[in-house]
Amino acid sequence: MICEHCKQRNATVTVTQVQNGQKVEHHYCDVCASQFHPFHAEFKQEPVSIQQLLSNWFGSPTWQKVGEKQQAPPQQQTCPQCGFTYKRFLKEGKFGCTSCYDTFSEHLPKLFNRIQAGPQHIGKMPGARSNVFVIKKQIEDIRKRMKAAVDEEQFEEAAKLRDEAKNLEQQLQFEGGDVT
Amino acid sequence: MMIESFLARATPAWMEMEDDYSDIVISTRIRLARNLDGYRFPLVFSENEALQVEQAVTHAIQDSPKLQERYSYFSIKDLTPLQRQILVEKHLISPQLAKKEQVGSMLLSEDESICIMVNEEDHLRIQCMTASFQLQKAYEEANKIDRALEGALPYAFRDTFGYLTSCPTNIGTGLRASVMMHLPALTLTGQMNQIINAMTRLGMTVRGIYGEGSENLGNVYQVSNQITLGKTEEDILADIQSVAEKIIQKERQARNKLMEKAELALEDRIYRALGTLTHARILTSEEAATCLSNVRLGVDLQLIDNIKATTLNECVVSMQPGFLQHYAGEALPPAERDRVRAKMLREALFLETMSKPTIGGKGEDSYDV
Repeated sequence: MICEHCKQRNATVTVTQVQNGQKVEHHYCDVCASQFHPFHAEFKQEPVSIQQLLSNWFGSPTWQKVGEKQQAPPQQQTCPQCGFTYKRFLKEGKFGCTSCYDTFSEHLPKLFNRIQAGPQHIGKMPGARSNVFVIKKQIEDIRKRMKAAVDEEQFEEAAKLRDEAKNLEQQLQFEGGDVT
Repeated sequence: MMIESFLARATPAWMEMEDDYSDIVISTRIRLARNLDGYRFPLVFSENEALQVEQAVTHAIQDSPKLQERYSYFSIKDLTPLQRQILVEKHLISPQLAKKEQVGSMLLSEDESICIMVNEEDHLRIQCMTASFQLQKAYEEANKIDRALEGALPYAFRDTFGYLTSCPTNIGTGLRASVMMHLPALTLTGQMNQIINAMTRLGMTVRGIYGEGSENLGNVYQVSNQITLGKTEEDILADIQSVAEKIIQKERQARNKLMEKAELALEDRIYRALGTLTHARILTSEEAATCLSNVRLGVDLQLIDNIKATTLNECVVSMQPGFLQHYAGEALPPAERDRVRAKMLREALFLETMSKPTIGGKGEDSYDV
């Protein structure tokens, strides 16, 4: 029998599927069988994830024996928002929430060097962000000066700075940033 | 709009456009992944979070003064499994979204060129499609939506890592650009493996269009970028553009060579495929995909001139199991599907091949009346 798919090689693999209670048989050669699934199976299939790759690259190497001297494992950190550990991230191949990026930030450049073009984003930014960023910096600056003014007991100056900061905070809220 | 109006046609009107690339490139797709600060990712979030994300996104889209398109909202849980499958077969939504029975939803533009998927792997996935090879146009469309939404939604963004995504393979720009191509000559001449290997080294992937493992079904491949961080959007698009152009060029060369070296054999293959499609009584999706690919090649090489490429595009979508059952109006067991598929393709292509009166032949009679 010839393979149904390539119609060239001999069929050596029989695939039996039960669909809606009906048995269907397909005959493929080993080459096609190893890389081929019919359309309808795809709908239920899990997409191939990168988790195995991640574990292979960044999990504990399999040759590392228990008892051998190990570095302090990074797996101990836990994300405060979703409870993910680095180990769980490696297992899932995905992060649980945005805070994971902050929690595991020290391990990520190494990972991104490997699977991406580099560890630093150089593309597009949310438009308002540049604004928000600048205003936040200004507020921080004013607060510092305000504190210094208070320390020097220049309360009039401090009050002026406080009003200035308030104005900027209002502007920040208008731009959609949070005031913290 | 009701969901039925999105299911009726196999291919939307924008697919009918033809240009210099239409003989090889079927469609172009841009996807932007975005998440909202303050909610966990769909992988682990609660139903309550899912609801809040959905409401925030839906309101942002429907209330945005900047978005002119009108969007229809559908929740996955309100759709039947067959309706979901058809949306996947039309490539309007991803198979992953179709599986999100509790939390997934989507906003679909009237012309079906834009689909915003909510709570798939990320909170938000903006997907824009065009016919043929128009990366820039599709990106501009996606960018416009992204810009309109960023003011209304608290996007998760860091200066270091860019747009945060659930999977580290989307981090940074969150941009995935894909070009869907029909490459029968490169497949026939055994050059695809070499191309796929080269792509991987360039940080790009080539996959069969029906998902992993369906590499050569219908000779349709999807080329997309794998790298999303450390490159600008412009560079990502430029790289995909130049790589896709190279593949198109190679495919054209391969087609020319086939025509030079083996025109008769090629013609035979193409007309046999046409014969099968217009006369067979039982057709599996595999055989139909192969035959449609061959006929499409015949049309592109102008060996067949009375079938439109757009008709074939439609057939490729509508011969899939979900669509077929929609067409038949009932659930069909697999064996029955092969019969209905053969009937459907026969009708679609037979009518087309008959529509042009043959000059000097029997067709003359019809002029007399």
